[in-house]
Amino acid sequence: MKKTLTILTRNPLSLIGLILVGIVVLSAIFADVITPFPEHVGAVVDFSNFNKPPQWPNIFGTDLVGRDLFTRVVYAYRISLVLGIVVLAIAVPVGVAIGLAAGYLGGWTEYLLMRITDVFLSIPPLVLAMSVMGLLEPTLTNGMIAVTVMWWPWYTRLVYNLARSEKEEGYVLAAEVIGASKAHIMVREILPNCVPSILTKMTLDFGFVILIASSLSFLGLGVQPPTPDLGSMVAEGAKYLPDSWWLTVFPGLAILIAVFGFNLIGDALREILGGDQ
Amino acid sequence: MSAPTLKIDDLKLSFKTWSGTAQVLHGISLHIKKGERVALVGESGSGKSVTARIVLGMLQQLKSARIAGSVEFEGVNLETLKPASRHALRGTRMSMIFQDPTSSLNPVYPIFAQFKEVLERAQPGITNEKAREKAISALADVAINEPDRVLDSYAFQLSGGMNQRVMIAMALANNPALLLADEPGTALDVTVQAQTLKLMSELVKKHHTSVLFISHNLGVVREFADRVYVIYKGNIVEQGPTERLFDDPKHPYTRALLSAVPRITGGGIPDLDDDPGRFTAPLVAHEGYSERELLA
Repeated sequence: MKKTLTILTRNPLSLIGLILVGIVVLSAIFADVITPFPEHVGAVVDFSNFNKPPQWPNIFGTDLVGRDLFTRVVYAYRISLVLGIVVLAIAVPVGVAIGLAAGYLGGWTEYLLMRITDVFLSIPPLVLAMSVMGLLEPTLTNGMIAVTVMWWPWYTRLVYNLARSEKEEGYVLAAEVIGASKAHIMVREILPNCVPSILTKMTLDFGFVILIASSLSFLGLGVQPPTPDLGSMVAEGAKYLPDSWWLTVFPGLAILIAVFGFNLIGDALREILGGDQ
Repeated sequence: MSAPTLKIDDLKLSFKTWSGTAQVLHGISLHIKKGERVALVGESGSGKSVTARIVLGMLQQLKSARIAGSVEFEGVNLETLKPASRHALRGTRMSMIFQDPTSSLNPVYPIFAQFKEVLERAQPGITNEKAREKAISALADVAINEPDRVLDSYAFQLSGGMNQRVMIAMALANNPALLLADEPGTALDVTVQAQTLKLMSELVKKHHTSVLFISHNLGVVREFADRVYVIYKGNIVEQGPTERLFDDPKHPYTRALLSAVPRITGGGIPDLDDDPGRFTAPLVAHEGYSERELLA
């Protein structure tokens, strides 16, 4: 782990990634401290200051009801990160478990599980998430559910293929010969050998989860006002382009920074850990 | 007389495929007595490894495999055993060594963790200290000088010969009655192979372990085995004591096999006389060494 960190900081691109992700994570954690108007997260109205271009103390400008945009962008990071963590925390174990079972057990289990996975994969992800959101109420929790539903099959696919090739390795055969149980072989022998690839994909995906959640809120299917969300801020501001450009540009840049940062780290990890997709 | 450690009688195996069944074993019979070292020799695809898999009960799970005949282990027919009790034999009463030792060890765990798992098969809940003690003495048996360092290493940090010795130590750690050695050390260079085989030979003698030694390497078989079965296309074609079989091969296939070994003295790669007609001649057993006479 220490070695991985050293390599990460030595490569300029991954160093940029680390810095960007560091900025995003730290600002989300310390949002209360670094933002000038923490109360602007909620339903606050300040018409004397509405729709102002960037200036001191509103460095990103203010929105249409006079709230500080910088404050709202930083708080929106909190929501995005929580969403990313929750989605991956559910989608990865589910996807990995199904992939392992299908890849190692084979036969009917494999057939059934992989065909179900294929059904989910055959629907365009955003359409699937939109239909789930259409059925449910648009709230943060349901947004997480929708993104999770579209996300797990990719891990199933990844782990399924890895398990299929690990299954033929000598140590799996050796474990079978000394009488290890199927569960033992899946969890203790095959899974640890899949971890590098899973970790790499998780880092890459973190950015994409933020992006897809933003797309959902852009379409009005995600987090609802007054909770700050990057996607809905961009959507809201897009109506006033190009005059009130700050309403769109800063939340948009915020998405870009987060996604770009996670992708740079993911790419670097893929090289270091030798995981492939 | 006690029952032989392993007795295979008229074992047939075929695989069902989309285009009909493929017959792999045409009814082979062999047996290994306690402490005996028996070699099964044949070319690639002759059915050597599948025989070992059947003994371990690993092909029975395969839906496409059709198996007939009986396999008896210490007088018990394995087919009549419940899956659980059959499973309990693996790793405790019978164990196996593979061709490539390095890939047989999981790269993500140090040797000790894997050694402990093996020991846990026989003694569930064995403590770390006890397992370490046992592992160290097992590694000392296979002439490993720094057992502590080896136990804390990963498979990829050790040489192939070192891994092979670790595998042998693991396979014999629970004192099994039967050791299946599937072309052990084929992936190693000749000097290392010779060393490890010598060690293995001494160890199985000490423990009175019966060995089924599967190989295509005739030189190794000659040094290691007490008796030899020659297998060709799923049939045993010749059987007898090692010395006599090598000095006086009776079956056309055995003769061809022996003459196919490249000589260290040169003379080019021998032409293999490929005559399926003659090779499928019926089983030749050396005098006093047919299944009936030996098991009487």
